[in-house]
Amino acid sequence: MAGAPQQAWDELLTLARDETSDRVLLDRLLDLWRREHGAEAAALYAEKAGLLRQEAAAGSGLPAVFDESSSRPEVGVLRIPGGRLLCLPASAAEAGAGDPLTLLLAATLKNCRLKADLKEQQFQVNYRVVELEALYDVGLAVAATLDLDRLSEEILLRAVSLLDARRGALYVLEDGRYRLDRTFGGEAGGWFDHDHPELRDFLLGGDTAPADLLPAARYLLGVPIQVESGARGLLAVGDKESRRGVGPFLPGDRRTLGLFANQAAIALENARLHLQALEKERLEREMHLAAEIQRQILPKGAPQVEGYAMAGWNRPARQVGGDYYDLFLMRGDRLGVVVGDVSGKGIPAALMVSVLHSALHLLLDQTELGPPLLERLNRHILESSTPNKFITMLLADLDLASGTFHYINAGHNPGLLLRRDGRVEELGASGVPLGLLAGILYQSRFATLEPGDLVCLYSDGITEAESPTDEEFGTDRLLDLMREHQDRPLQELLEAIPAAVTAFSQGSPQGDDQTLVLLRRE
Amino acid sequence: MTESLNVTVDRREGLAVLYTEGYINNQGGEEIAKLAYKLIDEGYKVLLLNLAGTKIVNSIGISILIEIIEKMIEIDGKLGFCCLTPTIEKTFHIMGLAQYAPIFKDEAAAVAQLGA
Repeated sequence: MAGAPQQAWDELLTLARDETSDRVLLDRLLDLWRREHGAEAAALYAEKAGLLRQEAAAGSGLPAVFDESSSRPEVGVLRIPGGRLLCLPASAAEAGAGDPLTLLLAATLKNCRLKADLKEQQFQVNYRVVELEALYDVGLAVAATLDLDRLSEEILLRAVSLLDARRGALYVLEDGRYRLDRTFGGEAGGWFDHDHPELRDFLLGGDTAPADLLPAARYLLGVPIQVESGARGLLAVGDKESRRGVGPFLPGDRRTLGLFANQAAIALENARLHLQALEKERLEREMHLAAEIQRQILPKGAPQVEGYAMAGWNRPARQVGGDYYDLFLMRGDRLGVVVGDVSGKGIPAALMVSVLHSALHLLLDQTELGPPLLERLNRHILESSTPNKFITMLLADLDLASGTFHYINAGHNPGLLLRRDGRVEELGASGVPLGLLAGILYQSRFATLEPGDLVCLYSDGITEAESPTDEEFGTDRLLDLMREHQDRPLQELLEAIPAAVTAFSQGSPQGDDQTLVLLRRE
Repeated sequence: MTESLNVTVDRREGLAVLYTEGYINNQGGEEIAKLAYKLIDEGYKVLLLNLAGTKIVNSIGISILIEIIEKMIEIDGKLGFCCLTPTIEKTFHIMGLAQYAPIFKDEAAAVAQLGA
């Protein structure tokens, strides 16, 4: 040591003062040791994970990992605290034993190891903070990210990254099956039954996963994604990385992934509910639009005809309905009257109403209102509708001058004709509903309307409206109202009937669409 | 998405830009390190890592990036990052990388600062 040149000591002192150059100091000291003891090569080894790994070397010819059992005679070995000092040739080691330079070298090596350990611990602490931040961020995403697709990707990437995995997969539970939503780092099976025995055991901590879950992975870890109301999916990661390659996941990793999946579950559920709300909103907008279109189909008022009063009214059970009515003049001296009821309710029925309205008016341009028109209409409805859809309809043609009221009733409720003297006549069925059978022939019937006679055409939503005790409104109550208002303005009866039906129902939900057409000869 | 990483290099006057695409994990980190050390051997002392094509990085990848930063400090060089996702940027801050290697929003800003 005493023989070391002053220049070398000055350099070593400078390096010792600089905290960032421990490695350089170690290299310089080792090289000085080698030269001082006449060695061709010297290397320092530190114990790490049960092995003696080379930390510094001056010269070549010494192994990267030192195995004491296979030590060669030409290699000198000096035991130092926490490691070994090897040199070539072996004779150089004799002078190094107990030498202050050797001790200084050992102390510097120990210092380097301590700093490296401290750095590693700091790294691990920082990475725990990254894990906590990831949990926190996914928690925040509950409020911030409502894009389900983006959220799913973020969750999978973070899970893979947090667990130092090489690959991963996110499955979502749909209709009792886990469906693959996305993968990272390899393909995966398309779907698994929710009660797949092997998968269920695996998610509970079992060692074996279904082969297709993440086929490219040698080591797998999976946890369920679940909210209070039940499972929503599963998160699987594969192949834990280290600097040496891939291996199994550590016991604490299940807990980390589980915590992450809990946070992810809330975020995913929130985004899913948001998506559902958006979809519901969109459907409501469309329904609103459909209702508006249907209002355009129904007449905005009734024709003004001298010697007659007439009015129509409709109240669908839902936003849109399957009832239809129309009042229209034909060639100025005749009045067309229609009341129809499509089987079913809601959008499908409303679509059929639209078909019926278009077809009827197109046919009226070509054909007189009568049996041939209805027969063609029946054919059209049969071709345009599903097998279980049909339309009941009462169609009438009134000669305004004579009061002759020709009508065809295709399976509809009998219309009511209240004569001025109080007699009641039913305008009953003369054929089957439209859209049921091909080749049906319809027959027309007629009645003559005299001054004071009142006609009421209606859909079954009126007479079959139920009270809380399941009693139906019925035709008797309807006739009582007609009698009561026979000489009153028609508008009063048009308001009185719906009001009476509503009062009768006493808040019970409206079960069917309701339609009224009233006609009185003055 | 794939677990592999592609790295391309754009050698410029006094500065080399490494563009990554994919996962910065053990393999990806080693790939970056191999190229970075090659560039150092070629005489480049200023490196910019453009991570626009990287959405994910794990702890092994970070530890390798730290080693590259240490190497750059050792040779008195400069290393910067640009175009990071918010998640990766946050991770780099927590892990201390940002303390020794500046992070830039875009490549133009990085080149202007590192090249100066």
